[in-house]
Amino acid sequence: MLVYSLLAGLLFGLYFSLIGLGLNLVFGVMRIVNLAHGDFLMLGAFLAFWLFTLISLNPIPAIFIVFVVFAIVGLPLYYLLVPRLLRAKDPEMLSFILFFGLSQVIEALATIAFGTSERSIPGGELGRAIVAVASLLTGHHVENGPVDIFGQTFPAAWVASGIASGIAVLLVYVYLYRTRLGYLTRAVMVHREEAIATGINVHRVSAIAFGIGLGLASVAGVFAPFMLGSITPAMGVEVTVTSFTVIVIGSLGKPLGTLLGGIIYGVSYMFMQSYYSSWANLLPYVLLVAILLVRPSGLLGRQVRRA
Amino acid sequence: MSLETSAILRVDGLVKQFGGFRALDGVSFSLAAGEVLGLVGPNGSGKTTCINVISGLYRPDDGEIYFDKRPIGGLASYRLVHAGINRTFQVPRPFPTLTVRENVEIAIAYGRRHDGSVDADALLAQVDLAVFRNQPATELNSAQQKMLDLARALATGPRLLLIDELAAGLNPSELDRIAGKLRELARSGIALLVVEHLMGFIDQLTDRIIVMNAGKEIFEGALAQAVKNSHVVEVFLGGEDAA
Amino acid sequence: MPKMLHHVTLILLPVVAAFAILPTVYSNHLLLFNFMIFIMLAQGVNVIYGFTGYLPFGYVGFFGAGAYGFSLMVIHLQASPLVALAAGAAAAVVLGLTLTPLFRLSGAYFSIANLAAALAVFQVVSNPNLESLTKGPYGISLSGVFDPTFAYGATLAILGATLGLVIYLRNSRFGMALQAIREDSISAGMAGINVVRERIIAWLLSALIAGLAGSVFAWYVSVFYPETVFSGEFTIFAIVFALFGGNGTVIGPILGVVILYGIYNAVGISTPQYFQLIYGALIMLLVLFLPNGLVSLLRQWGINVP
Repeated sequence: MLVYSLLAGLLFGLYFSLIGLGLNLVFGVMRIVNLAHGDFLMLGAFLAFWLFTLISLNPIPAIFIVFVVFAIVGLPLYYLLVPRLLRAKDPEMLSFILFFGLSQVIEALATIAFGTSERSIPGGELGRAIVAVASLLTGHHVENGPVDIFGQTFPAAWVASGIASGIAVLLVYVYLYRTRLGYLTRAVMVHREEAIATGINVHRVSAIAFGIGLGLASVAGVFAPFMLGSITPAMGVEVTVTSFTVIVIGSLGKPLGTLLGGIIYGVSYMFMQSYYSSWANLLPYVLLVAILLVRPSGLLGRQVRRA
Repeated sequence: MSLETSAILRVDGLVKQFGGFRALDGVSFSLAAGEVLGLVGPNGSGKTTCINVISGLYRPDDGEIYFDKRPIGGLASYRLVHAGINRTFQVPRPFPTLTVRENVEIAIAYGRRHDGSVDADALLAQVDLAVFRNQPATELNSAQQKMLDLARALATGPRLLLIDELAAGLNPSELDRIAGKLRELARSGIALLVVEHLMGFIDQLTDRIIVMNAGKEIFEGALAQAVKNSHVVEVFLGGEDAA
Repeated sequence: MPKMLHHVTLILLPVVAAFAILPTVYSNHLLLFNFMIFIMLAQGVNVIYGFTGYLPFGYVGFFGAGAYGFSLMVIHLQASPLVALAAGAAAAVVLGLTLTPLFRLSGAYFSIANLAAALAVFQVVSNPNLESLTKGPYGISLSGVFDPTFAYGATLAILGATLGLVIYLRNSRFGMALQAIREDSISAGMAGINVVRERIIAWLLSALIAGLAGSVFAWYVSVFYPETVFSGEFTIFAIVFALFGGNGTVIGPILGVVILYGIYNAVGISTPQYFQLIYGALIMLLVLFLPNGLVSLLRQWGINVP
């Protein structure tokens, strides 16, 4: 049971890191709390669901389509909402309320469009894609079905999500630390005013970061039917709170921190499920409050927000 | 540097750092009642940080602050106000939705502990703002807001007043009037610590000055001596205007 | 103070009188009751947000605490309703006290932490393991004290007290100090205001209001599930109504409730998604164009609003 909890926790942890990554990026760059984050995840999930249902598109290739769609949506959304916000007297609180409004709008539109019933995608679908890739890479036929790791059995979907999340975190790291745009992004994250003074087009960098943030949320959404169970339009709020917990544990503005936060959260969650399952639901909330009070700067230190 | 036994304020080895940056690196000085001490230095030398620590905005990382022989380092601002300390802000911070009079009234109501109440209108008259009493504080121009800030600080009946760059933006006649008022306050027994860039203002006002650079004191004494000190001159060659 | 008396006669008396008289001509008493509840909750949000700038995203936690405080008193100690009301209020205040460390956090962090705390309370209360104490997820049924008329009367009194409190805040030095804290907590400290203590007092008052509202809700409906009294909708509506009407005044939240909750009951109940869409869009428009609510519009037109 222990090994299972640990490994499952790791897989889920990677997934939770992916969920938190977009939120962390947006907050790090613009100091804005995107309360609609979970709802974009939900939209990504539904897009993947419809792509699968209507044109039988496997979730794995769907990832790319979903990411591009929402990254592109993010750009005009940024310019519409954020510059005005940043000029106000209390941008943090106002952005909080603004994006809360956006979250309600998205949830309402989704409910009107999709209804409240739960949707899901068969886990085997992810498995088939993995199997196809694995067969291609190894040259011989790989069986679809549960995966064995260190003697414990996990659904292929979990493994696929874990791997994809890990890749996504890596890609974000590469973006931030190995590309020119990423370098500019980090400059804005560390000191916005100074970045403006040095002539960096802060709005452009922020808009792109915002788009990537939304894209990441929607990609996490593609895996949601497999990792979180069925999807409904109302699932956004809980996801947002979870994302918040993950990034607060890690540290604001550092993708590595989100990875750490996600894994810690995932492992804790699995342990709770295994040993104290009736109280497992309490975990994200208690963890969040505890971290905010005990070590608000997160485990990797830095940006503290104290009144 | 003799430690004044009648000092109302004594600062001893004060250290304040932000991350890796040492804004205050072991600052020590003392101030007697009725004395006016100037604190000068180039930008970033730690002058405002010094005021921020003494007035309770920041907690010192090391060192001690004594007010009336009692240690006050780390106490919350309101406790310091009640004990008799107050300050003005480099950029004035009036309460925007309160009127000019209400800004002073609230400081009287909450800040004055040790002696009897004082009239808000009298205080406003002292800083020539009586005519604006019922207007929202935001309608004052910046020089007037500085005066409101001063009135707010005086409303709490301080025995130690920390002045943070009051002179910037004031014209010569306003400067003269203000310098006169501050000297009057000093004569009535209030100790003044005046952070300033404008040397002419410092000259009119202070008995002695401390020059700071990079969080440390590099000179203490009369302004006349300071301008002859080669280290001081070198530090200022980054360009402060000597009026 | 003359101004306070003026406001009491202008606002408090007419509002309470209206809700006292309307049941005689309008048969949907539950709706009137809900209006009163939301006015109270919006005022509660007003007290903490309008006067100190902290947004309580977990405000429903106090409402639920009040409801369960009341219910547990009745179920386990057979207390009379009025005693149980006090217990519910106390439960909310105790919860508020427990959450005061959250004030070390700023703005958005406080809001999220407050939300997490409320969700945690909900999880604890509705946990099947605690069934013997809280009836877990199976809900509460208080047949013994069911008395809608008496409960309605108590609600009138609590409504009056709530409005009275806000009028007091609007006209007193304490309220002025709170506003000062909201606008500039550093400057407030240098005016001699004990920022931390005043904030906590406002917070506890806000918790008290929601606790009383929750208690009287439990009394009036007498049958409810944990999801009912811990529903995020209470928080959302209270915040939207308060934001729409405008914080920091007495009239603002009342206006917000009357207009928006009125619209909700007229069109939104049957199609909650459309109402959600409307208030979501409304919030966004408010933040972008009218962040201080309706009363700021009135102020712009020269009308000074109590």
